[in-house]
Amino acid sequence: MSKRSRAVSAALITGVLVAACGGGDSDSASDGTVKMVLWPGPEGEAMQQVVDEYNTGQGQTDGVRVDMTLLSRSDTFSKQATLMSQSSSEFDVYFTASYLIAQHAPYLEPLDVDVSDYFPVVTESLTVEDTTYALPLDVSNHFLIYRTDLIDSLLDDESAHDVYGDLAEQLIGQRMTPKHPDEWDWDDMIVAAAYFTQSHNPDSPTRYGTALQARNLLFNTMIWNNVLWSEGGSWLDDGGAPALSSDAGRRAVEVYRTIYDKGLTSPDSSQAEFPETQAALTSGSAAFAIQWSAAYAELDDPEQSPETAGRIGIAPVPGPEHRTHVHALAVGINKDSDRKDAAAAWLEYLATDEAMSAYAAAGAIPSNPSILEAHADQNPIFPYIADHLDEYGYSPPALPRTYDIYVALADTLSAAWVGQGDVDAALAAADDAIAQLVDAG
Amino acid sequence: MSQLVRPNRASRSRWVLGAPLLIFLAAVVLFPLGYGLFVAGQDRSLLNPDPSWIGLDNIAAVVQDSSFWRAVRFTVIYTVVVTSVELILGFLLALLFNRRFPGKRLLLSLTILPVMIAPALMGIMFRLLLNQDIGLVPSVLSVFGWEISLFGTDAVVPMLLLLDVLQWTPFAFLLFYAGMQSVPDELYEAASIDGSGYWRSALAITVPLLLPVAVVTAFLRGVDAFRTFDVVYVLTGGGPGDYTTNVSIYIYKAFSSGNFGIAAAASVVVCLILLPVVPVVVRRLADPARS
Repeated sequence: MSKRSRAVSAALITGVLVAACGGGDSDSASDGTVKMVLWPGPEGEAMQQVVDEYNTGQGQTDGVRVDMTLLSRSDTFSKQATLMSQSSSEFDVYFTASYLIAQHAPYLEPLDVDVSDYFPVVTESLTVEDTTYALPLDVSNHFLIYRTDLIDSLLDDESAHDVYGDLAEQLIGQRMTPKHPDEWDWDDMIVAAAYFTQSHNPDSPTRYGTALQARNLLFNTMIWNNVLWSEGGSWLDDGGAPALSSDAGRRAVEVYRTIYDKGLTSPDSSQAEFPETQAALTSGSAAFAIQWSAAYAELDDPEQSPETAGRIGIAPVPGPEHRTHVHALAVGINKDSDRKDAAAAWLEYLATDEAMSAYAAAGAIPSNPSILEAHADQNPIFPYIADHLDEYGYSPPALPRTYDIYVALADTLSAAWVGQGDVDAALAAADDAIAQLVDAG
Repeated sequence: MSQLVRPNRASRSRWVLGAPLLIFLAAVVLFPLGYGLFVAGQDRSLLNPDPSWIGLDNIAAVVQDSSFWRAVRFTVIYTVVVTSVELILGFLLALLFNRRFPGKRLLLSLTILPVMIAPALMGIMFRLLLNQDIGLVPSVLSVFGWEISLFGTDAVVPMLLLLDVLQWTPFAFLLFYAGMQSVPDELYEAASIDGSGYWRSALAITVPLLLPVAVVTAFLRGVDAFRTFDVVYVLTGGGPGDYTTNVSIYIYKAFSSGNFGIAAAASVVVCLILLPVVPVVVRRLADPARS
């Protein structure tokens, strides 16, 4: 091969490689396409409808077209983390969440958002050092979801009160009477769970009283945090030191451990999360559970849940103080995007009532109180969300390593929740992990 | 003169012909390895967009992390148990199928089916099948009066081992079965004439001749079991606590938390742990006679 033909071949190969590597980006940059990441599931499906409306309406006026990519539900953030660390401009709008915002902030453009339209607890959870980095989409919190037919029969049947009182003496050491779930503290929940567990009460219509979500999973830590917060605890004390080795921390683990060890939930709860809890409720296996707000629509749908539809009640998460964890899913503009103006135009549209109404109509749970109120007839849980966020909502601190703290708590505490190992040792390990993560952050 | 030139041409040809393989190795082995080592020496994380070189700090952090060693311990036990059981069961199955019986082809097809299922899908399937509220297995068992919780804290580790054995025993079986086809029938006939029974022939002829196959099978299954991720992650997420966290899950969690330096360092430590095993296995594979 001559030098000339070698040079021509090299130029051809280089040209092909450059075209292959750079073609996609330059195309999207030139035609006004904004590329956005979201995860599949209800949020992704609802957002697709908003995207379609924008692309055929306001988007044409803005000269912007949105192209949404749904990554895997379990790995969206890992894949996005890889892109962020490489300063990639492949996507213009990133998907984020309250529990990740401090990690993602270095890779996102600060946003100038009118926060008055959103729940304050939500906008606070997306703020890092007084700067808002993401536009809230879905809000998530927890409720005690219960079978109204079963609870009503317990409350109305005087003879059931004796059984209930006996169980309270056995489990709590004092006689108790049934209360409405709106008034439950953790002891009430434990005794009611025993009443609806066949191994404690052979006449129970359900096999187990409740369905605990105790899998080693960061989202389950968010549910357990409700117990901790309701007992007056937190991850950190006022001085910023880890505070799980406290009366509140110990009590919070003991509540889970009692429910698991006494068999008030399925032994499989040690590997349960959202879907398993839904299965326990829809199959009629459990009478009540602390569950995510997104669960309600399915449980009340006669087609998906004939056993429970029309018989589902909503109450605050039990506790001496009712508290509910709140976090938001959100979107922010990639700092390394080549299409920041177009991305900003898209986010401006997403912040409108029109966009969020379409989002709610498509099945999502927007973070705007006015939108939830306007769509109350569409999803009966919307008014509850608005009320509970105002009254009981809290968002754990947006520390740089918040996500890691959730993961570490699941790693260190989930065994103790289900009766494995020593409670104090688990809490001490959790405190150590938090201390390291706070120091490293 | 031509004799002096010929070796150079031959040498050049070797490099030219070997170039695609060398480029392939450089792209898929050397570059990732080198880059992994580079990242392991950096404080690279999502929180730190401008990482700096920190030498062996990440490796020291991993080595001092007790949960990493618990993950290594679980992984080694898991690997040894499932590999041993699968080798034994695979060999016995191969012995069974190495005879003629009615329905052999159908049974053979059914036996190797699990190998064709993606491990992640297998995990999801079993998560549904074993669910106490909606799962088929607990439902069928309850008909016979067996109330069993396969995800309970006492059952979860045996359940993971059992699922691995269910899915991968057919793989060991296939290799042994293929190996048995190459054993000459004359050997068994001669043994039979000498009065050797079935089991005696299996032990004296089949086992020694299939030892190289056993080494290859043990190596392949051992490597695969050591890096198991999908099924365990889908079914338990490494829990309760870190009871079922293996090294793959440990690394994945570090990576998904954005701690790229720690994740890379853990990968390097795992490579260093496995390094002494490699020459032994390679020697066995390269020289089957030694087996």
